[in-house]
Parts: sequence; C-alpha cells; structure tokens
Amino acid sequence: MKNYFAGIILVFYFGLLGYLYLSLGHGDTYPAKPISIIVHSKPGSAIDYMARKVSEIARKYSKVPFVIENRSGTQGLVAMKHVLDNKADGYTLLGVTKSFLSTVMVNKSKVKLDDFLFVANMVSDPEAIISNEDRDFNSIEDIIIDSKQNQKQVWIGPGTGSRDHLMALKSWEVLKIDASWIDYKSAPQSILALLRDESAVYVGNPADIKGKSGLKIISIASDNRLSSLPDIPTFKEQGYDLSESMWRGFAFKKGVQDEAIEYVTKILQDVVNDEEWKVYCDETNVFSNFEKHIEFTQLIEQEVEETNYYLNKAGLLATYQEQSQIPMLLILFLIVGIVFLLILAFNKFIINKINYNQIIAGGIISISLFFYYQTMLFSIPENANVTNPALIPRIWIIILLLLSVILIFNSKNKIEGHNKLMPGRVVIIIAFLIVYLISMQWIGYFFTTPVFILSTMYLLLYRKPAYMIINAFGFVMFSYFIFNKLLHIDLPLGWLFI
Amino acid sequence: MGILNDLWLGLQEFGHFLPIMMMFIGVIVGIMVGVLPGLSPSIGVALMLPVTFGLDPISALVLLVSVYLSSNYGGSITAIAINTPGTPGAVATTFDGYELTKQGKPLHALITSLTASTIGGLIGTIILILFSVPLASLALSFESYEYFALGVFGLTIISSLAGKSPLKGFISSGIGLLLITVGFDTQLPFSRFSMGIPDLADGIEFIPALIGLFALGEIFFSIEKGDDKKVEKAAKVDLSNTLPIKQLFKLKTLILKSSVIGTLVGCIPGAGGTIATFIAYDNAKNSSKNPEKFGKGSLEGVAAPEAANNGSVGGALVPLLTLGIPGSASTAVLIGALMIHKLNPGPELFNKEPGLVYGIFISLFFANIFMFFVGLAGNKLWIKIIAAPKSLLYPLILALSFIGSYFIQNSVFDVGICIAFGILGWLLKRGDFPTAPVILGLILGKMIEENLRLSLIKGDWIDFFTRPGSLIILILALVSFFLPHIKRKLKKIN
Repeated sequence: MKNYFAGIILVFYFGLLGYLYLSLGHGDTYPAKPISIIVHSKPGSAIDYMARKVSEIARKYSKVPFVIENRSGTQGLVAMKHVLDNKADGYTLLGVTKSFLSTVMVNKSKVKLDDFLFVANMVSDPEAIISNEDRDFNSIEDIIIDSKQNQKQVWIGPGTGSRDHLMALKSWEVLKIDASWIDYKSAPQSILALLRDESAVYVGNPADIKGKSGLKIISIASDNRLSSLPDIPTFKEQGYDLSESMWRGFAFKKGVQDEAIEYVTKILQDVVNDEEWKVYCDETNVFSNFEKHIEFTQLIEQEVEETNYYLNKAGLLATYQEQSQIPMLLILFLIVGIVFLLILAFNKFIINKINYNQIIAGGIISISLFFYYQTMLFSIPENANVTNPALIPRIWIIILLLLSVILIFNSKNKIEGHNKLMPGRVVIIIAFLIVYLISMQWIGYFFTTPVFILSTMYLLLYRKPAYMIINAFGFVMFSYFIFNKLLHIDLPLGWLFI
Repeated sequence: MGILNDLWLGLQEFGHFLPIMMMFIGVIVGIMVGVLPGLSPSIGVALMLPVTFGLDPISALVLLVSVYLSSNYGGSITAIAINTPGTPGAVATTFDGYELTKQGKPLHALITSLTASTIGGLIGTIILILFSVPLASLALSFESYEYFALGVFGLTIISSLAGKSPLKGFISSGIGLLLITVGFDTQLPFSRFSMGIPDLADGIEFIPALIGLFALGEIFFSIEKGDDKKVEKAAKVDLSNTLPIKQLFKLKTLILKSSVIGTLVGCIPGAGGTIATFIAYDNAKNSSKNPEKFGKGSLEGVAAPEAANNGSVGGALVPLLTLGIPGSASTAVLIGALMIHKLNPGPELFNKEPGLVYGIFISLFFANIFMFFVGLAGNKLWIKIIAAPKSLLYPLILALSFIGSYFIQNSVFDVGICIAFGILGWLLKRGDFPTAPVILGLILGKMIEENLRLSLIKGDWIDFFTRPGSLIILILALVSFFLPHIKRKLKKIN
C-alpha cells in the first residue's frame, strides 16, 4: 500500500517538473502573458491603490491582465532591485514615485535611476500643510506670524530626507520661516502627534486626513485647486511661489523592446481617458497628470537637481561613508584574537581550562568591540535636528561588555558538562543547509528540496524508503501548491529551466 | 440603548450568506496562516486582500478580520507542537507549551491555548464594543515618552523569564538589542553596521531570525543531545484526558486578566500583541501561587499569553476605527482594505456606516466561537504530527523553515539569516543561555531607540519622570524587575 502511494507521489512529482518546464514556453507576439506591476509598499498604500486601479480599468483595454506584486523594504530599493534582477522583456513594470529620487541618492546603492526607462507618469499628488483645528490657522500668513511670535515652530512628518521633509525645507525657504523638523517615522504616528497638537504643521498629502476629525488642510502646493477640495487654497493664490507634488507612474528596466513600451503607453493612456479614472482621482484628491516617456524623463532630470540641492542642504548626502569590507574583516579578526588571548591569560595560559561560557562571552565581547569600532565612524550632519546615531548602540555595547566580563569571572574554574556532547552531526546538518541554500539558486528549488530532505533523513537514521519518498516528494508538491499556486511566490527554478 | 440598536444594525448587515461564508473561510485560512512559520498575521491579511476586491465591504472586512483573529491563535499550535512560533505573538507560548509537549501532554497545552485564545478574543471584542471611545483617548495619550517606558518595562520581564541565571538572560537580550540596531538609523537615512552589504541595509528581517532562533536552534540542540534517536519515547503521547475542564476552570481569573492586558496593550498603536503576551506572561508568573512551575510546563504559562494575544485583536481595532490610525501591522493592511472599498477609517465611519462597524464586531464574536470548534477538530491532526518520529519530522521542519524565510521577500539572504540565527540559538542553548530574551530584544530595541531619541529631540531626560504616564510605567518596570528577585529571597528565608 505505502509503496504504491510512494509510486504515485513520484509520478506526480515528475509530472509537476514536466508541467513547470512546458509552462515556461513563451508566445511569439508581445504581450503573451500577464504583466506584473511591482509595488514598493504594502497593499492599500497610495501607489498600491493606484496600481490596482490601473489594473482594474486596464481590463477593458488590454489583452493580458496586469498583476500587482508588493515588494516592500528599504524605501523602494527592494522593488527596484527585483525589477533589475528580472529580464527586460516587458513583463515586469515598476510602480515609481518621486520618493525614489531621494532613495537612490541617499543610499548610494548600485541601483541607479538610469537603469530604468520611465514609461509614463499618471498622477500628481500635491503636498499639503496640515494643522490641528485648535490652532486657528486659516492661511499661510497665520503660520508665518505664529513662527515669528512664538518659540521655534515644529514641523513634523514621516521620514528624514523624505519628500515631506524636502517640502518642509522648501517651504521654509520660500516663506522665510525658521522652524525645525521632527521625524515621526510614519504617517500614522505623525498624525497622532498632530492630533495631540504637538506641532504647528504636519507635511503630507490631502488624502492623509480623510475621515479623520480635528485636522485642517491649510494650503496645497499645486498650481490649481483640487476639484474634490474646492475650499483649500494653493500657495500661489496666497502669493507664495511654491509648488511640490508627489508623482506616481510606471517604469521598465532599460533595454526593453519598443513594442512593449508602445503597448503599455497605449493602455495607460486609455486608462487615463476612462471615466472611472476621473472618479479615482477625485476620491483620492490627486490630479490626473499623464506624461509620456520623453516629458516624464525630462521632468525627472530637473527634479534630480532640485532634490540634490535640498538633500545637501539638510546635510544628508555627506553622512554615508562606504566602508571597504576587507579591512573591516581584518579588524574583526584582530579583535577576536586579542580578546581570546586576554581570556586565556586570565585563565593563566592553561588552554584546557577555557570553558564554554567563556568562549561565548569572548565571542560577544569581540563582536561588541567590533560594533563599537564602527560607531566611531558614524558622522552627523551639522544642521540636522537629530541625536547621535551611536548613542543607543553604545549603551547596549557597554552593558554587554560588562555582563560578559562578569560571566567570564563567574565561570572561572567551573566544570562544564557540555564537553560530552558531540556536535558532529549538527555541523553536518548545518553544512547540508548551506549547500541546499547555494545549490537551490543554481539547480532550482524543485530538484534540491527532495535531495536535502532525503539526505537529512538518512543522516538522522530514518530508514523506511517508502515513507521517506512520500514525505520528501510530498513536501515538494505541498510547497508548490501552497506557495506557487495559492500565494503566487516564485520559488527559484534554476538554470535547468532557463 | 444606542449600542443595542447599533448591534442590531450590525447583525442585519452580517446575517447573510456571503459574510458568514467569509467568516468560515477566514477562520480556516487564518489558522493555516498561523501554523505555517513565516506567515505572520499581517502577511496573511495582506495575502487575502486581493481576494476581497470583488466582495462587498462587509464580506471583505469579515474575511480579513477573521484571518487576523484566527492566525493569532494558529501561531500557538506550532509553538506548542514543535517549539516554532508560527507567529511572533506565540513566542511566549513556547516557554510552557513546548515543555508540556516534551512531557507528553501536548493536548493539555493545545486545549488550554485554544480556550484561552477564544475567551481572550471574546473579551477583546466586548471591550472594543463597550469602551472604544475612552480607549481611543488612551491610545492618543501615548507619546514617545510612554512608548519608551513601555519598551523598558518589556525588557524588565527578562528577569522573570531568565530562570536559573538572570545574567545569561540579560546577555541574551543584549544580543537582540544590539543586532536590531543593524540597518537604517532611526533618524538619519543611512545604514548602521551593514558593512556595505546591500541586503543588510534595511537591517535583519525579524521573522527569519525568529524561525532560526526557535525552530532551527531547537532542532540542532536536540539532534546534538540525540533526542531524535529516542523514536519510541517520542511516540508516547498522553491522549487519555481530552478536556482538562477542571484545570481550565481554575484559570478563569487569569484568562480574564490576561485578556484585558492584551486588549489594553493592543489598543496602543505600534505596541502590538507580542509585547502584550510577554507582559501577560510576566504578570501571570508574578501573581501565581506556583511561579516555580513556569517554564517547566505550567498551564497558566500557556493560557496567559494566548488570552492576551487574541485579546489584542480587539484592542488593535480601537485606534483603527475611532482614530483611523492602525494599531498593528495587520490593521495597517485593514486600513488599506477600507480605503480600497472607498471607506475612510476614523470617526466618520462610525457615524456613516454603523451597520458595517457593528457588523464587524458581531462577526468577531462568531469567528471566535467557530475558531474554537475548528481548533478542537484540528487538535487530532496536530497530535499525529507531534507523535511522528523526530528523524522524519526534523528534515521537514527544516525545509519548511527554509521556505518560510525565503517567502517573505523572495530573498535567499533571509534564508541565510534564518540559518545564522539557528546557529546562534544552538550555541546559546548549549550554554544554557535562554533564547527568548534575544527575541524580546529584537522586538523592543527599535521601539526603545526610536522613542528615546524622539523624546530627546522634543525635550529632556527629565521629561520621562515628570510625565505621569511614563513615570507610572517606569515604576511598574522597576517593580517587575525586582519582584522576582525579592520573591526568591523571601522564599529562601522562609
């Protein structure tokens, strides 16, 4: 019975491999399969909502569906890298926003704006300055007067170097205000602080306060009023030349074929001209602002300069120092060597007597010192309103150092029972895991997983072939259906399939 | 009678085929999400979001809320069965839950966890319905000073977690606190300690670290001890006493208290259910008649965190519905769902759509009850898995941990993190260092640093002691830090 079942599982497994191989065949004309839209933030965020709206409306016009994939992390770098890791075949579209400019500049990562081909801009979402109703601010003038009469004004919003922060810097320049910026990390925490009236102004977008009470938009930084918020004045109306909007659009990886650009541009244009799109724009308080590749790219080039100016002004471009990895490793080894020599010296040079606790403590001391060395390389921009980034790590490091030294003293001359344990098999299993991890990227998940499971079972002395086969290959089938089919996660296929 | 009227409206909204169907589906999916390591409640809710686009608003929200609720329970199953918290909120459940499994009493732990989760969820819902408005002002009154104090309070729990050697416990937590500083600085956009490795720029991903430390660490350690060779012993599971009703009844005040703790902490935006579980565990241990049993298979130690964890679900909905601010990662996704259905979370929603809001409350109630019965039926399956020989089980858990770590960001690097933390967990366990404080450090480190530094920009050190909120929490922290030591001393004298 069980042998029979194991046979069936194997047949299914090879069937799956065949299916996977065949399903990768491409059609001749573009588009032959769904186009993914990679979004850099979580579902429900502004750009995610826009991408979903585009995908929904595009169903009327496009032969193939647009599928949203969320890949959040590192202010968009994760999503950008994902697109660059894929082929430029026109099936991976990236949702781009203006915040990517700062991300790329500040992080100095290998990802460059030049790696992308900006297909089209879709909307422009004006920056807004928002206050608590209790403050009785009715115009920009009131805010300027308040800043002159009272103590230094506080402006808040999410992020340092974010668009909201740069908007604040720009406003202070235009309005001639001397205020300070406090970064509340996220829009919700900033809005909570504003509800408590901790600051004069919150910088964000009109959609941020939808449905909430007690808050008021003072002004928006666009050329015209929003048709959905006709009572909110612009800066320009009040005599201040200030415009700043967040744009959201789409980009491909550079090198994509022309027919893909043409096709997607055409679909996006159809979407923008659709009635539903206008409803969407009003609902979310944004301007529809369709710009094709050439205009869009020009816009970005101008804004790169401006962003550079304000990031420099905030001192955010000078903080990051690229450290070479090799000298860092040398320093680490040096520290480890010295620490363990000291512990040995403490134990009066008798190597046998060093016990497990002392080894752990020595490791922790070495790593702590290594971290401490790195904190000495941190630099703080002169005019930024921040505390020292080294403060907290140093507190933890000093506590760890103290505790570890106490542990070394406490453990002296104690007999440890751990010597009896044999780590041999554990080391082999860890080696298996590492080999599995590395080979998975080359040979693919579906080949390496059964091999890993079978060999680990064998190592752990499990010797019932039928059950081994059922579990190992059954697990692969299970993970395929749960993760690939249900959750749409691409498991690495490896070079055998390319 | 406003509330009764609203509840009636809610019942009318909820009492249709589709919403009820969605509740059933949501509960089952949620338990599965909880059981699979790597799938946390927020990821589960986010994965279900696209499914809801085609549904009407009430069905959509019922589905998501049911997933959120029951995934918080589901995480405890693997915590008890294989020492792998399926969700971050189930970490505290491993302390006693897995001990009970090792003693051959997994069913006791599973049923206690299920009962506590259900009651916790129900109490959270009741508090949400009755007190959401006063609780909203609690949520609003929490400033950076109080968050910092809460973080410190959370850390002091280590002195009761650490067991034999508080020194080793504090070293473990220090490791967690230091490792979480890797990645983006909380105030400046540059990466600390990442040494130019791009994958480390955003810091250490939490879930792979959690899976590594618990699942892999435990497997490595027990292979080293040769546990997998005791095939015969492992198969012996006590199935005789199915429902320990008498023992459960004794836990009634504890479950009640822990549920309230969970709901209160849950409603503070950004604090989260995981911290609530630790506070509840600590509180249960300090107020227990048998504190020495904690960590060695105490049913109280299973009931308290589980009640708090599911109580926090109701709590997290308070700021979401009253202020429009997400209280947790999962409710952040719920906000997205509301937006996509053209609903604006916040006070406006209560006035404009009372039927919808109360419909969600009602569905939470029924989802809790349904979850209980699904959980009971599921226990039979989990018991079978627990009874399987370790040499068969371990390779599969390793493979599952692998894919669970990979899947969060499709990142091979995260799998590496999982293995590295597995090795760390193993090395610590070999030296009798507790691993839970590492996780506590990872959870609380960001909160402490962010809010300390924000407070220092806004004011001064003295503000922590002049504000009543932060002062009270800091005093609680002092008490929680010294109480276990004083108790130990007193016991020695007696």
